[in-house]
Amino acid sequence: MSLELLLIIAFSGAFLTYLSGKISSKLRDILAVVISLVPVIILSRLYGVQTEAVYNHNYLGLSLVLRLNPLAWFFAIATVSLTALSVIYSLGYMKNRDRTDYYYFMMLLINASMLGIVLSGDLLSFFIFWEIMSWSTFLLISYNRGKAIAAGKKYIVMSLIGSMAMLIGILSIYSFTDSLNIQIIATQLHTAFSSYKLFLLIIFSITFGIKNAVMPLHTWLPDSYAESPLPFTAVLSGMLTRMGVFGFLLIMYVIVGSGTTLHLGYGFLSFNVILAWLGAITIVIPTFIAMLQNDAKKLLAWHGIGQGGYMIVGIAFGTSLSVAGGIFHTLNHAIYIVLLFLSVGAIQYRTNGLRDLNSLGGLFKKMPIAFMGGFLGICGLIGMPLTNGFVSKWLIYKALILGHAPFLAFAALLGTWGTILSVYKFLHNLYLGQLPEKHKEIKRAPLAMAIPIVILSLTILLFGVLPGLPLKVINSIIVSVGFDALDVSVWGIASDTGTLNMINIFAAIAIVGAIVWLIFKVARKATVVDQYDNYAAGAAIPQDKYNYTVDFYAPFYRMARPFLKDIFDSFYQKIAEATGVACETVRKIYNGYVGNYVMYIVLFLASLIFVQLIWSIF
Amino acid sequence: MNIISLIVSILLALITGMFFLGISRKIMARIQWRYGPPVTQPLIDVIRSFSQMGVSHGKLFDFGIILSFTGAIVLILFLPIGKLCALTSGGLLAVLYLMLLAPFGIALSGAASANPVSSIGISRQFLLSFAYEIPLLLILLAVMTHYNTISLVEIVNIQANSGWAFGSWVLVLPGIAYLLILPAILGVRPFEVAGAVQEISSGPIAEFSGKHLAFVTLQHALHVFAALALFVDVFLGGWTLFGLLKPISGTIWGVLLGIIIFLIKMLIVLVLGIFVNAVFPRFRIEQAMKYLWKWPTLISFVGLIIVVLVN
Repeated sequence: MSLELLLIIAFSGAFLTYLSGKISSKLRDILAVVISLVPVIILSRLYGVQTEAVYNHNYLGLSLVLRLNPLAWFFAIATVSLTALSVIYSLGYMKNRDRTDYYYFMMLLINASMLGIVLSGDLLSFFIFWEIMSWSTFLLISYNRGKAIAAGKKYIVMSLIGSMAMLIGILSIYSFTDSLNIQIIATQLHTAFSSYKLFLLIIFSITFGIKNAVMPLHTWLPDSYAESPLPFTAVLSGMLTRMGVFGFLLIMYVIVGSGTTLHLGYGFLSFNVILAWLGAITIVIPTFIAMLQNDAKKLLAWHGIGQGGYMIVGIAFGTSLSVAGGIFHTLNHAIYIVLLFLSVGAIQYRTNGLRDLNSLGGLFKKMPIAFMGGFLGICGLIGMPLTNGFVSKWLIYKALILGHAPFLAFAALLGTWGTILSVYKFLHNLYLGQLPEKHKEIKRAPLAMAIPIVILSLTILLFGVLPGLPLKVINSIIVSVGFDALDVSVWGIASDTGTLNMINIFAAIAIVGAIVWLIFKVARKATVVDQYDNYAAGAAIPQDKYNYTVDFYAPFYRMARPFLKDIFDSFYQKIAEATGVACETVRKIYNGYVGNYVMYIVLFLASLIFVQLIWSIF
Repeated sequence: MNIISLIVSILLALITGMFFLGISRKIMARIQWRYGPPVTQPLIDVIRSFSQMGVSHGKLFDFGIILSFTGAIVLILFLPIGKLCALTSGGLLAVLYLMLLAPFGIALSGAASANPVSSIGISRQFLLSFAYEIPLLLILLAVMTHYNTISLVEIVNIQANSGWAFGSWVLVLPGIAYLLILPAILGVRPFEVAGAVQEISSGPIAEFSGKHLAFVTLQHALHVFAALALFVDVFLGGWTLFGLLKPISGTIWGVLLGIIIFLIKMLIVLVLGIFVNAVFPRFRIEQAMKYLWKWPTLISFVGLIIVVLVN
């Protein structure tokens, strides 16, 4: 199966889905699921294959190159699988909404363009696919109109700045090497000055830093996540934002090469150390801001930024352990954040779009599958043992501690322990505590929404207990970009400085848990009472009155709120306003009076004559 | 051998933990000029709780308790008790994460009831944990960086060769910081904010009765044991005592004596904690957080900087 056929199916499938929607919505739904599943099947059959296909089409003498290697395969399979799950989920979530043809069209187009990005072997096609992705993302973010349009605008402006930076980088590479084929560039750049390589790294870091929401380039993300339609938010947070991570890997370790990237600068003032510290800041600050959020999607969005920091720290730190951890965390984060968004979506679907953490609660008995998804999702996000997040975070911590970077390690650990607070609030305010009276009759999520939640929950546990499955692929990635191979087994990772063997932890928890459960069962049976039959020191707890959700960590908020403001966002807003004012002033020149325009022309000619008389340069 | 050490360490932790709960009540009483309950009182209470019929709020309520107790036991398996260490995979980082399971289980269980008092208690518990985890992480990072390992067993072994961490000038500041946050980890006054009996009816455990209460008490005993064991392992050299055990190391007597020395060290640290507990009133949660983020954090931060400079 050749790669161009895969892309042709993905792209033409998106158009076909749109057209079929005009005939019947049932046909469109089926087609959308099929088109999203076909790349999953094709790619899973391409496991371990390395190919390259070159197509000469004589445009500027450049050729289109598609290539499949471990790095591309890893990102491609993660992207298409998660998109397929989101499309299945959309069957339930987007039912009876308007403009669904357009929605599915964009969803599949984004899927195809992300596939194109990871498979492209030259920078021109990379740029084209990148732009298709950015623009169709903009259209979907603004799908809900209203506030979403503002969020979309913010996104597209920042995304365009990134694209322009990338365009400059690509043009400069082309003038330097006369080629855009990534492999040829990589070999030719060996002879370049290191200052030129630094320039390339910085200019591409702007692009990928904006996409991956590295602080201080993160400001588009919270609004976009909060306002976009939910199944797409899952794709956006899961893989689309992480195209930035792919880009960082590409520029740092494939194009420039690990030998150079890790030795640009002196001591602290070198490219990768500064990038790692930006990653550390990206971990800590958003994690604290997330604690203050009362909107479920915004809370997850800030965690999306924060977890992106782990990937950046891992990749920038540049040992084989940390890079493996960073790449693995990209996959793990995608799985659990998609799961969390889908879990929120189930509630939104049943409560007419409610996602305010202050007005929900007690849903765990009513929506058990969504609760399970939320629970396992936050366990993964924290990195509880036996969930996938544990393994990747462990790899990153270990690499940082044994790499003598305790302060970076502290930032990473602090991020995790801050995460616990906000995600527990998330779980508690949605699913635990008292059930508000108006949600008494709430129903479970429909089947199409339950299936992706169950699959993702199982994946979290699977990769938590058998981390070797993805780590084997990741191992071949880091070997292909020039790092030492890790000693990976299916249960974990072995090394002379400390081993992680998940079978130990799994067996311990499973056996001890079984014994404790047995003792619990054998011990005298407890009477099962209603949730509201509570101890209140002699008083009665009135139903639906005393739910402790608003200001869940009130003492902390009182202390921290003054310090936790998104200063970058307000700074950019001010720049945007100032630009608006400046443009308005310039616009006043064109006031529509012909007499004024004649005056401009006369003044211009007069100044020319004046210049000629004084300096006589013409 | 491994199976035996598994069972022995669990039983040892349970018995010692319950004994610690008993003896702390006794010492408290003596400081306050009371006679106090017998040392076995917590054990008697647990047995009685098991025989009583309790109240359950459903499956999640039960699941949380089971998760919490399981987490507490698994944590014990990862801590070296004397020379016994059943499991080592993942090292200190895994221990840090396993410490989360028990409070998380209680939080799930407590919030599965509709009691707002439980929710308030859980919120306070998480805030307090967050407050003391910041210095704790700095402290453990200082130790891991200094010894350049993430394995607890290795940390103990290095101390056996080169002297206690608490005695070396590089790691004395983190050690002092750990002592300062120890009452917060144990959850005793002045940091008894989560389980404030008079204020929020014991907080997270307000709804527990019967076997649920018994399991929570056992979990609490294991938590006290784990917090003290971690300190003894990391700073007081675990089973070592000035080379006293060198001649008989490798024999069964060496192992037994090592465990006894380990337990005695734990008892001494516990008694220090009880003295603090007996004389201080309770902090408000903000005061507790401000205290924990001021002195212990500062001291441990300076300690970490010293470690980085020395290496």
